[in-house]
Formats: sequence, C-alpha cells, structure tokens
Amino acid sequence: MVEIIGNFGLSWIDPWLLFLTGIGTLAGIYVGAIPGLSVTMATSILISFTFKWDVNDALALIAGVFTGGVYGGSRTAILLNIPGAPSAIATAIEGYPMAQRGEAGEAIGLTTVMSVFGGFVGILALALFAPMISGFALMFNSRDYLLLGLIGILLVGTLSGESFAKGAFAGALGVLIGMVGLDPMTAEGRFTYDSVTLMGGIPYVAAMIGFFGVGEAFAQLHNLDLPAIKQKIDRIIPKFSDVKRYFGLAMRSSGIGTIIGALPGTGGDIAALLAYDFAKRTTKKPEVPFGQGCKEGLIAPEAANNAAVGGAFIPMLTLGIPGDAVTAVIIGALFIHGLKPGPLMLVETPHLFWFTVGNLTLANVFLLIFGLTGIKIFTRIVECPKAILIPLIIVLSAVGTYAIQNNPAHIYWMLGFGVLGYFLKTYGFQVGPVILGVILGPMMDANYRRAMIGARNDIGTFAWDFVSHPITFVLTLSFLLMLLSQTPLWPRLTGWRRKRGPEGESA
Amino acid sequence: MQTRQSRRPGELVFAIALVVFSAILLWQAFAISGFSGLSTPGIFPMLATGTMLVSGLAILRDVVRSRPVAGGRSPLHGFVADIVPLRLSGMIGLVALYLAAMPWVGFLISSAIFLFLSILFLWRRSLLMTTALTAVSLLAVYLVFRVVFQVVLPAGTLMRGWS
Repeated sequence: MVEIIGNFGLSWIDPWLLFLTGIGTLAGIYVGAIPGLSVTMATSILISFTFKWDVNDALALIAGVFTGGVYGGSRTAILLNIPGAPSAIATAIEGYPMAQRGEAGEAIGLTTVMSVFGGFVGILALALFAPMISGFALMFNSRDYLLLGLIGILLVGTLSGESFAKGAFAGALGVLIGMVGLDPMTAEGRFTYDSVTLMGGIPYVAAMIGFFGVGEAFAQLHNLDLPAIKQKIDRIIPKFSDVKRYFGLAMRSSGIGTIIGALPGTGGDIAALLAYDFAKRTTKKPEVPFGQGCKEGLIAPEAANNAAVGGAFIPMLTLGIPGDAVTAVIIGALFIHGLKPGPLMLVETPHLFWFTVGNLTLANVFLLIFGLTGIKIFTRIVECPKAILIPLIIVLSAVGTYAIQNNPAHIYWMLGFGVLGYFLKTYGFQVGPVILGVILGPMMDANYRRAMIGARNDIGTFAWDFVSHPITFVLTLSFLLMLLSQTPLWPRLTGWRRKRGPEGESA
Repeated sequence: MQTRQSRRPGELVFAIALVVFSAILLWQAFAISGFSGLSTPGIFPMLATGTMLVSGLAILRDVVRSRPVAGGRSPLHGFVADIVPLRLSGMIGLVALYLAAMPWVGFLISSAIFLFLSILFLWRRSLLMTTALTAVSLLAVYLVFRVVFQVVLPAGTLMRGWS
C-alpha cells in the first residue's frame, strides 16, 4: 500500500515530473484547441521527443498531453463554433449559442469543472478495474487477442469515415504497413524487395506523424482564410449552484464515458456523442432547449470525453489493445520505451501503473488550473494565422520524426505518408484505422499463427476452437455481429424485427 | 451503406489506383510463401491485401455509381482547383525540397529557408515581418528542442568540416 501511494505521488513531489505533467497539459490544451490540430497530432508530435528520455519523464508528459488535448477541443467549440477535435462536436452545438448570448466565460468554466470531474471518474475506474481486468486477461489466449485486435480495428473503421469499405481498407492498409520487414518468427522478408532499409520495417512513428501531422497540415491548407471570431469573455469561475445542480448528470455521463472509453475501438468522440444523446433523452425540462445553448448538453459530452481518457487506459494497459487512434500512438510510445502493455504489465511493473494513475490525476488538477485561467492569451493563440502555423507544424514533425533514430530516411517516409494521408482524407477515408492497423497488425499476425500452430495447422480444429471456448466464443460472436451490422442484410433483419415487434406485443 | 450524390474530382482515378495497388500487393503477398501452410509468414499479408482488394473494389463500385463531377468542368481542371490547388502543390514541393536539403545543409539553415519561403508563400506579408517571424519561431524551436529537450538535430554534411 505504501509503495502504491509512493508511486502514485511521485510526480506530485518530484519538481521535474510536476513541471513535465503541467507543461504537457498546457501544450495539450493549446494544440488540442487549435481547429484541425487533433489530440492525435499533438500526441504523436510531442511524444516523439520523449523517446530518448527516462520512462517516468515520458509518461508524465504523455499523461498531460492526452488529458489536456481531449479537453482543449471544447474551447474552440465554444468560442468559434469549430470543434477543435471530433470529441467536441456536441460541445459546439450547445457551447457556441451560449457564447453568442455572451455567456462564453460561464460555458468555459462549467466545461472545465465538469471535464475535471469526468477525468477523476475515469481515473478511479482505471485504478479499481484495471487490476481486476488484467487478472481476467491472463486467461485470454492467442485466439482472443486476434479477435480483440480485429474488433478494435473494425470498430474504429466503421464508426468513423464515410463507408464501411473505406474503414476496412484503411485498417487493412495499416496492417500491411505493420507487416513490412523481416518476419519476427522466421526472419523471412515480407515486402522488403531486398532493401536493407525495408528489412527493418517501416518506422511507425514516421507513419503516425506523417498521417496525423503532415497530412493534417496539408488538409488545413484549404482552410487558410477562415476569419477568426472574437468573443467577449467575462466570468469564468462557474456558479457553485450550477456545479451542484449538474453534478449528478456529470457523474452519469462520466460513467458512460468511462465504459465507452474502455471498449476497444471507441474513444472520447463516441463517448461524447452518446452522453449528449443521453442528456437529451433524460433531461425532462431544460432551462434552454437543446441546440440553443443548453447547459446539460454542454456538460454531458465534456464530462464523458474526459472520463474516456481514464477508461481508454484500461484496455491499453491491461490487454495491450489501444482504444482509439490516440491510445494507439501512446502504445507505440510505450513499446519504444521498452514497456509491454498487457496483462503482465501490472504484475511485472506495478509501479509504472500506479505512477500513471497518479500522473493522470495530477494532469486533471492542472487542467482545472489552466482551464480557468489564461483565456485571454488563449484566444490570441487560437487566432494565430494558419499560414504561420502550418510551416511550423511541418518543422516540428520533421524534428520529431528525426529524433526517434536520427535517421534522415524516416523523414522521407513521413512526407510520403503525409501526402498519402492528405489524399485519403480528401476522399473520405479516416486515417485512425490505419494507425490502429500498424500497431495491432504484427500482434494479430503473431497471435493468429500461434493459434494456428496450436490447432496443429488444421483449419477444422482452428475453427472449432473459436466456438468451443467460452471467452473466445463471446468475442467471436461480437465480431460476427459487428461484421453483420455492416452488411446490407442488417437493416432487413432489424426491419423484420421492428415489423414483428408491435405484433408480438399485441399478441 | 451511404451513397453520396456527386463524385469528387479525381476520386475515380484514386479508387482505380487503390484497386491496382492492392492487387499488386496481394500478388506479392502470395509470393512470400504461397499456400504452403496455414501458419506461414505469408498468410496474414495475404489476408490484409485481400481485404484491401475486396474493400477497394467496393469503394470503386460506389464511386462508379455516384454522379460524375457536376458543373461542366473537365475532371482534370476540377482536380487541380479543388484537390491539389497551387497552394498545396507548392507546399508539397517546398516540404520535399526542405527535407531533401536537411541532411545536407543541416537543420538550422534548411528550416530557416523553409520557414521563410513557406510563410511568405502562404501569408504574403512584408519581407521584414516574415523574416522576424522566421527568426522568432526558429529560435523558439531550437531552444525548446535542442537546448531543453536535447533532441539531436541534423547538423548537415556540408557543415561538418566547420564545426
């Protein structure tokens, strides 16, 4: 117990770690707030600088960036009606009308306090459930990991983007990128074309920064001329009566956020939208109608998306499965630091787990401080012309990519992926599934082959294994249902049920 | 399945390219170990590229079904105007030159030139203002990453003899 408290409080006492968590949170808020610069972009560029650092230093910065980044999107959503991140879409629906009524300060204050509440709920769930889940996860075998990986990519692929085919393509492309290089089991070359550079595989950090940093920067070139809107900001500290009144809703939304964040493949974006929908359905008599600056509709998504941060750490640390693109980037960073997220992480390195829990808590405290201050400077920074920002992002991306292995070849990969990412985005593809595929592909390949060898290379035994073990069976069933829900058959099936439903009730 | 009304310029060519690219890669995945076993290194690459090919064909089908670009413009004209405007192709060119020059002349010189040219290109303000912005932002990047974070930046082969 003493050890747990010691590791939990490490970043609170150590001045350097305290500084790093604080600066990470601040950087996360500002980068996350700039429209077009996603949390994923902030995380992938910022954490690339940490690869040479001590693990604790890197973890401290990452926790701050993630927490700040998820929150940051809300500010631009309120002030400019441009969600800084997809998780702030619902926030813009209610926050911007509030700002138009001159209540921008109040909206920001409430959002901040409720985000911090949400963050704490998520962390509490992480501290309570991660040890339990990782105990349970020790029972998982290679088949289950293969299915978890497939479910993760499938969920990210289907929930975002224009069509299922585009999501599936992006996910498979990511898996393919992850396959390049020498096969870790037999040392046979895969897509290496006898090139020494390719034998080492494609550096996935270059892919991440390429897709999310450079690709995003290119895409933002279309929005250079958007005018900035100025808002009057007065009172920021929210009224105590408001905080008390909406506390219950914030807690319920945080619960939703934590669960959604913990599911593989779903993160803050979906958590926020579901919580918004929940608030809309359960609030009987809102002061202001939804869509016109209703406080309930502002609080629910913000509490939920910050709760999803703690939730997302659960599968990441216990199963090694990233919940969304941001956690995929973070998992990549953990691998580089020599950590192996998975059920054994809590057994082998419990100190890092409790250190992370302590860090996330600290980051939320910083969130409260930075969230309620510095709005004036903030509006100036957000108004910084993109014409200056975009070249800077490219310089930072190059520095970040080069910093990993001091290899100039990596920055060419970065540019290549950046251009590809631009075209994919332009034609309605999401790049999140690509990154998830890059991270999960090699894991899925290894687990598939282990499972197949375990079944003595017999396809019948292999298939039977998927239905004869309870955990595997549940996962197989979920995977097949998700796949089925994407086929044209699904609407017919549910339509049939709907038609049958009322008749069944009346009978 | 969602069907859009009209097609983006260049989308058809992009979809065809995806299908061709996937087919070539599937063939190369097959070349890794063929069907010699169920747990060979080639199986998963074949599954991945196979998925790419099937979904690529589905994407192509959707694009073919959607309405061609409206407005009487030629597809090439639309592609240049909407998808790769001069601003974008110019920036991609600048970035490519910047990254190619970096290992040669070093981080500081290449970044200074890149920042100056790209801010000038995108922002179009006075030379003095652009120079000042370049200097300030480069100094900030250098201080934060080289001095505080101690990130190694390319020194450049050209300058090696001097320092």
